[in-house]
Amino acid sequence: MHERLSFHIKRDSFLHSLNPLTKLVLTLALILIAFTFPYYWTPHILVLAAIIPLSLLGKVFREFSVTALRLIIPAAGFLFLMQAFFQPVGTDIIFKFYFLDMTMESVLFAFRNAMRVFVMVSAFTLFLVTTHPSELMSDLTRRGLPGQFAYVIISTLQILPQMQAKAQTIISAQRSRGLDTESSFLKRAGSLIPLIGPLVFGSLVEVEERAIAIEARGFTSKQVKTSLHEVPDTAFDQFLRWALLVFIIISIGLNLWLS
Amino acid sequence: MAFVTLQNVTYKYPLTEKPVLQNINLQIQEGEFVSVIGPNGAGKSTLCYALAGFVPHFFKGEISGEIEVDGKLSSKSTLDTWVLNVGLAFQNPFNQISGAKYTVFEEIAFGLENIGVPRDEMKKRVEDAMSLTGISELADRSPYSLSGGQQQRVALTSILVMRPRLLVLDEPTSQMDPIGTREVFGVVRKMAEEGMTVVMVEHKVEWIAEFADRVIALKEGQILMEGKPNEVLTSDLLTENGFGVSRYTSTAREAKKQGLWKKQNLPVTLDEAVEGFKK
Ligand SMILES: Nc1ncnc2c1ncn2[C@@H]1O[C@H](COP(=O)(O)OP(=O)(O)O)[C@@H](O)[C@H]1O
Ligand SMILES: [Mg+2]
Repeated sequence: MHERLSFHIKRDSFLHSLNPLTKLVLTLALILIAFTFPYYWTPHILVLAAIIPLSLLGKVFREFSVTALRLIIPAAGFLFLMQAFFQPVGTDIIFKFYFLDMTMESVLFAFRNAMRVFVMVSAFTLFLVTTHPSELMSDLTRRGLPGQFAYVIISTLQILPQMQAKAQTIISAQRSRGLDTESSFLKRAGSLIPLIGPLVFGSLVEVEERAIAIEARGFTSKQVKTSLHEVPDTAFDQFLRWALLVFIIISIGLNLWLS
Repeated sequence: MAFVTLQNVTYKYPLTEKPVLQNINLQIQEGEFVSVIGPNGAGKSTLCYALAGFVPHFFKGEISGEIEVDGKLSSKSTLDTWVLNVGLAFQNPFNQISGAKYTVFEEIAFGLENIGVPRDEMKKRVEDAMSLTGISELADRSPYSLSGGQQQRVALTSILVMRPRLLVLDEPTSQMDPIGTREVFGVVRKMAEEGMTVVMVEHKVEWIAEFADRVIALKEGQILMEGKPNEVLTSDLLTENGFGVSRYTSTAREAKKQGLWKKQNLPVTLDEAVEGFKK
């Protein structure tokens, strides 16, 4: 049960072997360029020239496509419709649906924004899928991110599935004592109140015990921490990070200059 | 000189009215394996926290008396250095999972990362500790996917790997089956043979009788009795005070009344009972 608490997919690929910080910079670069580069087709080109090739380089094209079809495209599609109908730009109406109408301008505007969001979510997805959270944190702590900070991030990432599992356990327990979790919504909402106590109070006691447990394992020790995982950081990584930084600066600079 | 000394220790949590530990005086030698028994609320866990530095450094509250381990006074130390000498594993294994690691191997390495052990030595120590407690095959599992008993083993291993001088265990086998319990007692005994000092809160008196050097019976925050496992675990004082005893002890006690148990001492374990009835 709950073997998988992260999005990470273990593969042996070029993208997996990059340093986590490089991938983080790459992700941010893609997002910033998609949003700031002053050329209409930028996000569309990024999808073809960066997102898809990256998913291939990471050997996760299949998994990525599934996520894109199930999650990212529906979300971006919804955004597209909202903006295409409600963005009050342009005058020549090309489509009418009762009182709602689309103009050429609003469609173009919405299409670009939807693509920008698609690039953003896709870039993050690829980052999470190809980067092990422990490696990311090891690398960032090595570079000076405080250990407490790293701990909070990782344990938060893990806590949702745990809370879910716990809520499920409590629900089963309460149901076996006759709690109604299956009839109408309002009735159910009311009868869920008994769950809040154990979930919240349980959590507080847990937080105290967990604090003791990690303290007992030297968490606040003043020694310089080491890390189990050796995280690669090659000359190529460093080159790539600088190159991406230059791209970001050019993109933002052009944006400011042209506007 | 004793390795662990508690002198007149009295302690009250911030929210409790009367002291949870009262005038505790205790000396433990290096390499000794001491077991603590007592009913619910007797203060066993609090005693563990006091040894491990969490009382008073973490819980605050009012403390008097002195706690000394390895020549250092708890009152003059900080928690982050104290824990390097004294390891603590407690009852609920789920809450001892760091929550920051994805595999058992990483989980056990967590403490070593925190205290800055170099990577190669770290791996070696984690592997050794895992084979000692018999969990090598769990290395790549998620700590959350394990059974309660397995999680307890991981919790124990996570502390053992740090090689504390004093090991404090609060009901470390509560979710284990008899085989697991026996193994844990065996590991703890072995650590004691190698010089680690151990304080272990337990209910399973038969194992205590077989493995521990000394038993301390705690009641309402006071030491009711202490001594050799057999003396303490078979004493009438314990029964009068409502402590659980081994079924062999109660059987032999009945038998003694009927004149069927001839020996002076009562048994705690099955072996002792068989031995005694043979005579
Ligand atoms: N964090 C705390 N704050 C206040 N009182 C506590 C706390 N922990 C335990 N106690 C109280 O201290 C007493 C002894 O508890 P404990 O040491 O957990 O006993 P045991 O482990 O023997 O069951 C109990 O009355 C308990 O209610
Ligand atoms: Mg307790």
